[in-house]
Amino acid sequence: MKKRFITNVKIFFEGAILSYRALFRWLRPATYIASKILAPLTMMIFFVFIGAYASGNNDASFYVIGNALIFAASSGIFGVTMSIGGERWSGTLPYLFGSPANRMAIFVGRAFMHILDGMLGVFIGLGWGILLFGLDLSQTHLTPLLITILITTFSTAGLGLLMGCVGLITRNVMLVNNTVYFMMLLFSGANISLESLPKWMQVISNYIPLTRGITSTRLIVAGAGINEILPLLLEEFLIGIMFALVGFFLFSTFEKQAKKLGTLEIF
Amino acid sequence: MFMNAVEISNLKRQFKTTIGVIKRQTKEVIAVDGISFNIQAGELFGLLGPNGAGKTTTIKMLTTLLIPSSGTATIMGLDVVKDAEKIRPRIGFIFGGERGLYWRLSGLDNLRYFATLYYVDSNVAKKKIPELIELVGLKGREKEKVEGYSRGMRQRLHIARALLHDPEVLFLDEPTMGLDPVGAREMRMTIRDLQSAKKTILLTTHYMFEADALCERIAVINKGKIVALNTPEKLKTTVRDLSVVEIEIFGIPPEFLEKVRNLEYVDGVAVETRDQRQILLVHTPKGPSAISDIVEVLNGLRLGKIVTREPTLEDAYVRLVGGQM
Amino acid sequence: MKKIKDTLRIIGMSFEIELRQNLTDGFVLFGIVIQPLIVAFMALWMLKDKGPDYAIFIVVGSAMTGLWTTLLFNGGNSIRGERWAGTLEPLVGAPSSLRIVVFGKVLANVTQSLLSMIGCYTFISLIMGYPLTLSRPIFFLISILLTVFAFVSFGVIIASLFILIPDFQRLQNTLEFPVYILCGFLFPIALLPGWTTPISYILSPYWAARALHGSARGMLEINHIFISWVLLIIFSAIYIVGSGALYRLVLKRARVDATLNTTG
Repeated sequence: MKKRFITNVKIFFEGAILSYRALFRWLRPATYIASKILAPLTMMIFFVFIGAYASGNNDASFYVIGNALIFAASSGIFGVTMSIGGERWSGTLPYLFGSPANRMAIFVGRAFMHILDGMLGVFIGLGWGILLFGLDLSQTHLTPLLITILITTFSTAGLGLLMGCVGLITRNVMLVNNTVYFMMLLFSGANISLESLPKWMQVISNYIPLTRGITSTRLIVAGAGINEILPLLLEEFLIGIMFALVGFFLFSTFEKQAKKLGTLEIF
Repeated sequence: MFMNAVEISNLKRQFKTTIGVIKRQTKEVIAVDGISFNIQAGELFGLLGPNGAGKTTTIKMLTTLLIPSSGTATIMGLDVVKDAEKIRPRIGFIFGGERGLYWRLSGLDNLRYFATLYYVDSNVAKKKIPELIELVGLKGREKEKVEGYSRGMRQRLHIARALLHDPEVLFLDEPTMGLDPVGAREMRMTIRDLQSAKKTILLTTHYMFEADALCERIAVINKGKIVALNTPEKLKTTVRDLSVVEIEIFGIPPEFLEKVRNLEYVDGVAVETRDQRQILLVHTPKGPSAISDIVEVLNGLRLGKIVTREPTLEDAYVRLVGGQM
Repeated sequence: MKKIKDTLRIIGMSFEIELRQNLTDGFVLFGIVIQPLIVAFMALWMLKDKGPDYAIFIVVGSAMTGLWTTLLFNGGNSIRGERWAGTLEPLVGAPSSLRIVVFGKVLANVTQSLLSMIGCYTFISLIMGYPLTLSRPIFFLISILLTVFAFVSFGVIIASLFILIPDFQRLQNTLEFPVYILCGFLFPIALLPGWTTPISYILSPYWAARALHGSARGMLEINHIFISWVLLIIFSAIYIVGSGALYRLVLKRARVDATLNTTG
């Protein structure tokens, strides 16, 4: 029992390191800076200005927070999805099926790096907000903020896990990824306040990750304490778990199908 | 008309590769290290060498796709760097293989596209394309997408494309690679026909018998340098004094190989896989009389058939590139 | 005369090939249809308080974001795709000028993306029930044609960067929003700091956006529309003419650095 646990922990870290290396192998510092620091900033600027044009006021914090947290979604969706979906393209999927290692450990290990990466993205986003748009964090309690960011990146990683498994059977992973990402933009309340969305859209917003994370962060920046946001965070966490579980379930189903049909051609 | 269709003088090409992520180190790899040779107009010239010797890099420089690091090359008197645009309409090239074709398009559309890019007059193209399709044996399949073609069909489509604009000089990089024996033989016949049509052809290959059969002259290239340049006959004479003892073996540990190599009159050894069999090749001037010594050295190993034969171009090649196969 | 005919033939052929390649690619759908729609929807909601006659502004603006995204991603990926498929070398080795081939490709992508503008128009007017009347239809039509010219010429320049830098694709994301911002697609550049204005002025899509918004919503006087057209044409022409020298440089560099192929 103890031995299995240790094995799983080892697998977890190996998955994490592998993800880390894969993440950085392709990146030169310049590219990393461009995509991690500059690109998200340009998106933030875009929406902040639209917001300013729309409302005529200068309070950018609504959009800054929304977009900063969207960066978490970016790591979750693109990072995690590709690291799983990427298995298909590098042809290593069969090996994953065949290994006796606990799949949870592998996947969670992979997701771990992207969660850290996602958190970094949020901090960078908030940093830009302070630097360029006068984001005021004076009322913010740091601990609730950190917890919120952690849980939000975790739950988007859960979505990423699910998307990754979907990506294993779709022909066009990037199409799915980008659509989901933009859907998140639309439904999560990042740039549009939830109250102003039509009712049917609000329903969807309630079932996806990120929504509560964004709401919580806005509350925290306005001065709320941990007690007010705890219920939201709990729900956010549960949603993340739910998506991850569906992802595992999907993966096992694919695996069973593949073994039954004796083929990985569906992939 | 130029006497030399292709003139190469001290051509060099280096590549930079980087290692590492944070602290990047650059390494310089010399792919072509000062080669010189000339090809006469209408000649079928072979560039022979193992993988990684620099054949493809040389062809890419001659076809204006790479700029040499130093040295010069001219095609029909035109410099490959300065006059690249004048050269391109007059040469054809194939690198073959899976890449270089539009998979989602049909063979016919691939040809139509490149005919346009090579400024082939549309009336001429209307006639030429079906002719070429027939010539390379793709008739009836030209409307199918290239992604459904076999390896051999793709290779043949490459050839058709290279001939669309009736070039004077052709560069064929491993044209029979991946073809089945029948397809390869047909390809070689096509190449001979092209030569009869007075085209200058530079062919690269690592199939020795192919170079022997087709080429009027062969340059052997290894590690970026030309190690021999002559007609096939004369190249064979460099090994004329040698016989080759072929011993069928069933696995040979390296120390035994060394022992044979260290025998006094042994020029070189190589191990070859032929069909399912493993053959030890020993180059020695002593001929059959060396057999007993060799067998003694291989004491303990299981041996099969033993034969002595005349050297082929392949043996000359092995010797020239240092006995590594 | 023959040269012009040949050039047109090449553009036509390259256009056709690119179109057909795109039709089999799902990701293209995203840039052409899905993303502009989502952006349109978001912008619509965010700008709701400005009133229903802003709808046309949003349609036009988000269609232009679609145009640019298509150009950047599909156009760029197209070049990258050629490199990976090994077809970039045969293209360079052929006598025809690569930049003319690229022109045809970019033209195909821009034309396809125009479909998105029409798609947005129809979708929004049908489903949202917003009035989408064009204030100056004829000017709008001419502006569309000129917009194609502006985007294509801009695209030819951008495409050269993809040839020059093999992993430029990594920087794609960084260029996406700045063009939306600097060209005033969905908000006037007056909101931006003054030092960015000169940059906006040298981008031909900015003048295209001005002309389109101006004639769609009637925000501009007619002579201002004319000025936008003229400046659009001038800058686009500069791009086209300049691309000749640019491509010569880029291709020379590519042949020295061996970046025409993935294996060098």
